[in-house]
Amino acid sequence: MPQNETIQDLNLDEYKYDFVTKSEPKFRAEKGLSEDVVRQISQHKDEPQWMLDFRLKALEVYESKPMPKWGGDLDGLEGVLDEIYFYVRPQDQMERSWDDVPDEIKDTFEKLGIPEAERKILAGVGAQYESEMVYHSLRKEWEDAGVIFDSIEDGLKNHPELFREYFGTVIPTGDNKFSAMNSAVWSGGSFVYIPKDVSLDTPLQAYFRVNQERMGQFERTLIIVDEGAQAHYIEGCTAPVYSTESFHSGVIEIIVKKNARFRYTTIQNWSNNMYNLVTQRAIVEEGGHMEWLDGNLGSKLTMKYPSCYLMGPHAHGEILSIAYSGDGQHQDTGGKVIHAAPYTTSSIVSKSISKGHGRSTYRGLCKVYEGAHHSRSNVECDALLIDETSRTDTYPYIEIEEDDASIGHEASVSKIGEEQLFYLMSRGISEVEAMAMIVRGFIEPIAKELPLEYAVELNRLIELEMEGSVG
Amino acid sequence: MSTALTDIGLMEGVTEAMNGAAVERVSLGEPEWLRERRIHAWDVYERTPMPSTKLEEWRYTDLKKKLDLDSLRLPETEAAPDDPAAWPARLRATMEEDHEASGHIVLVDGHVVHADLIPELAEKGVILTSLHQAADEHAELVREHLATEAVPAEEGKFAALNAALWTDGIFLHVPKGVKLDLPVRVTRSYTESGAAYFSRVLIVAEANSQVSYVDEVISDDFDEQTFASTAVEVIALDDSQVQYVALQRLGRRGFYQSVQRTLARRNSRLDTLNVAMGGSVTRVDLSARLLGPGASSDMLGLYFGDEDQHFDFNTSQDHEVPNTASDLLYKGALDGKSRAVFRGIIRVHAGAQQTDAYQTNRNILLSHGARADSLPNLEIEADDVKCSHGATVGQLDEEAKFYLMSRGLEEVQAERLVVTGFLGEVLAKLPLGGVVEKVNRVIEQKLSQHS
Amino acid sequence: MSDAPILRIQGLEVQVAEEDLPILKGVDLEINSGEIHAIMGPNGSGKSTLAKALAGHPGYEVTSGSVEFRGEDLLELETDERSLAGVFLAFQYPVEIPGVSIANFLRTAVQAHLPEGEELDIFDYSDQLIERMTMLDMDVAFAERHVNDGFSGGEKKRNEILQMAMLRPKLALMDETDSGLDIDALKIVAEGVNKLKAEDPEMSVLLITHYQRLLDYIKPDHVHVMVDGRIVQSGGPEVALELEADGYKVFEDAAAETARA
Repeated sequence: MPQNETIQDLNLDEYKYDFVTKSEPKFRAEKGLSEDVVRQISQHKDEPQWMLDFRLKALEVYESKPMPKWGGDLDGLEGVLDEIYFYVRPQDQMERSWDDVPDEIKDTFEKLGIPEAERKILAGVGAQYESEMVYHSLRKEWEDAGVIFDSIEDGLKNHPELFREYFGTVIPTGDNKFSAMNSAVWSGGSFVYIPKDVSLDTPLQAYFRVNQERMGQFERTLIIVDEGAQAHYIEGCTAPVYSTESFHSGVIEIIVKKNARFRYTTIQNWSNNMYNLVTQRAIVEEGGHMEWLDGNLGSKLTMKYPSCYLMGPHAHGEILSIAYSGDGQHQDTGGKVIHAAPYTTSSIVSKSISKGHGRSTYRGLCKVYEGAHHSRSNVECDALLIDETSRTDTYPYIEIEEDDASIGHEASVSKIGEEQLFYLMSRGISEVEAMAMIVRGFIEPIAKELPLEYAVELNRLIELEMEGSVG
Repeated sequence: MSTALTDIGLMEGVTEAMNGAAVERVSLGEPEWLRERRIHAWDVYERTPMPSTKLEEWRYTDLKKKLDLDSLRLPETEAAPDDPAAWPARLRATMEEDHEASGHIVLVDGHVVHADLIPELAEKGVILTSLHQAADEHAELVREHLATEAVPAEEGKFAALNAALWTDGIFLHVPKGVKLDLPVRVTRSYTESGAAYFSRVLIVAEANSQVSYVDEVISDDFDEQTFASTAVEVIALDDSQVQYVALQRLGRRGFYQSVQRTLARRNSRLDTLNVAMGGSVTRVDLSARLLGPGASSDMLGLYFGDEDQHFDFNTSQDHEVPNTASDLLYKGALDGKSRAVFRGIIRVHAGAQQTDAYQTNRNILLSHGARADSLPNLEIEADDVKCSHGATVGQLDEEAKFYLMSRGLEEVQAERLVVTGFLGEVLAKLPLGGVVEKVNRVIEQKLSQHS
Repeated sequence: MSDAPILRIQGLEVQVAEEDLPILKGVDLEINSGEIHAIMGPNGSGKSTLAKALAGHPGYEVTSGSVEFRGEDLLELETDERSLAGVFLAFQYPVEIPGVSIANFLRTAVQAHLPEGEELDIFDYSDQLIERMTMLDMDVAFAERHVNDGFSGGEKKRNEILQMAMLRPKLALMDETDSGLDIDALKIVAEGVNKLKAEDPEMSVLLITHYQRLLDYIKPDHVHVMVDGRIVQSGGPEVALELEADGYKVFEDAAAETARA
């Protein structure tokens, strides 16, 4: 059977990122979250006083907020948070040459195929290992054009004014419990500035790797796309599978200025014991164009709703998301679009696949404020259920205060059609391949937008999963 | 002491008028089982916190602002006589418009003052009577179904309040195999400003029976907030067909609160239509449970808001066994500063394969201050299902308006026609004699004030 | 033409799966290599059921009888294995597969038809696809469209013939291929089938149709009349012409008579 050969060729385990690198951290804060830990992080980063104050204030806010009662099951989370390390410093400095990265860390990223990808297609690459960015590089031509692509720490050090102007303005500390937590303990992430009218023709890419057991990763990314500029940023996330649970909570703030265009792509393939609670938000000014491409394949529980605040006339926001939930996984994802100016448009397309005991939830908000006349928004959610034990939910919120607006939401739930299977099989295609083909077809509208290597990855995952589901 | 209790959600909504003593008063002379049921319900009420906007189901209706329980009195009026001459003019006018019926019930200020039924139906064993009376005369049936499986006190704060304080209501029982050709018509009239009214409806359609039930609530405008609470329990047994229609035409400052639960057994068809035109606040909690294979429910809703009217529909479609169907369509037009909230959920329970469930909410905003919130939810735990939902909020169809105007209609006429057509889709699905005309007339009236 | 039948159906009884609803009530049919057969019959006679049952549709259950295809028990094979063995069903209602391009779908299908261990040469494949599309008068851009998704009736049917042309079956079952086609589309489809038949004279064809019309363009060697789940008459092309003149009524009455007896 040709299909089986394909799978063997891949030589994959269930989760191919399940390997651990032996490396000794330079520093590790004590377990759990405390004021001491926060102070240590700030001290290790040699931060200005205002940032330490910011962190300590955030810690207070975090402690004052209750655990969310909606979304996924967070009952076990407090126990997990007591046991994890909030800050692990793998090396003392960030490298700008790949050769200088310590061998064991380099090995890890080489296994993930990173330097190779960089040589081929990227404008710049960042790599985060545990709590710190260990490597950052940017092609010289872009550096010369004034592009900044740096670790968030270096952003604060080297561009203090620009940093302070925007940091924490898109997602205030108190936005939610986990944005507050991130604001207290953030470490790593990217600082990006694309100057006026500069168009990056290839993406910037960041890789996030959690290696150690009982680790919490809290990257913080701030991206400013100046007027008329264009760029694409990609992040990928992986971790080994441990028996204990890990935690990842990032905060991503983006400012898309007048007539700028920006796309942010996430392919999250964390191991299935990861809590992944992320806040991502973009402010889009007049004529700006923001796209979130969000792929959630891994983790135990993901709660993540990328959002676009359309603040200027003719701003456009787009959210494309794919979620895959297998046994023991809950993807609680979706998107938010806020229309706060006239002539703004948005679109959300969400596709989810639930298999076995997996659960996929779409949760979204479309809000049109009074005065945002001539706004248009369209939301489409399709859920595919593979097994009778699979589950899907759809919770859209539509809040419209403006009469001159047009808002539509459609959702559907389906399973793989018997007639479709029969049709494909009558052409000699095996059941496994036929199912995989139908699933791939289902997500095609979004998958075709993915960078090639991720699209291939996604296809392989589907193939594997279908293999397991044909009795 | 009481402050501390209300702080933790206990004893909230216990007022000078509504309290344990009132429950005792209303149960005077009633059978012991009913008295116990009321006391139990009151106990639940005291223990249940007042719904706040922190609850998903109440996110957009802030009772702190919308309802002043403390100001409400229990009605003082005694039952009016069974004499149309003594009834309020609006009640008489409303009933004159009605078409033929299998039977009538008239309630004035929460008490049944009139009941009639075609004699041959009575001979076949159909019961259409005051619920209060039925608790005595048909104790076994009422005791089995009243506030037990459909809308028990535990259902929520208002279900408990209603179960404790209801003064009267309607009991309709259709025996096995009996089919009513004409609808049963119920008209309720409220006259006392500032009062809190509690009534109930219990409909039991036995196997293979068929019945349509139309319940119209009317009043003049009130000077003070007036609260009209209804708990509706509809039970359709195997192979029966039931249509339940509620038509709300309260005057301003009326707060219409209705908890409705429908139970559809094997191969039954249980359709509902909620029309909300009047009142200042409307809150309907409609829950359709599909409990037997082959059961189906169409759920229709229609609302037209103007001035500062506030509508909140909270619906659920529970598919608990395989092979059931439900189809919900709620449509509304909003003018002035009115606001509508639709929150619906389809739940396909684990194992409920071959479910067909649909849910659609469409709103048009006719004026700048109007607002619509729509939350159509799905929770699907079976894979072999057909489920979809859709929601739209938009303006009047400009193309349609242009088309009509190009044929010589004035703008206002064209707009009215488009709105009537938009809302008419709902009525066309449940065209009960008399209801369509009445609703259309109210729509016309509201549209004539639209500028 | 060889004498050994490529397809031998004996006493085939088929019902709708999970329902006790018999549709085929004992069908006997033999098709020799290279022959073109036509089965005609009124709506509901079971002719499409025969085609689907031969292709292994999960909605139908064979309750009795046997089907031998090139000496093998066809009923033992899964749907995909029947295709690999050389059976092709041109669907009456081709199914939409959103998101899957024709090119990708056909590449997978052609690969599946290769002997084990043989890798499809992607350049050969695309040459072949272009050649076949050209033969069927199809725009090459068509291959990038999603399988049957949003196709017109004519496009769907042409897509079926394209698949047939790529997979080169030994036996083509053509289920009401003429339905929903205007005369120009019908001619193109029939021409395609005739070209394939000319390329491979050993290919057998079973046409299932309600009308004589298709048989003006694809000439059958044998015509069978199916009524109420049985073949009630077989003969040469003249049977079809008689049917065109007299309709199915005679046969239906006779079948009703049998049922009463």
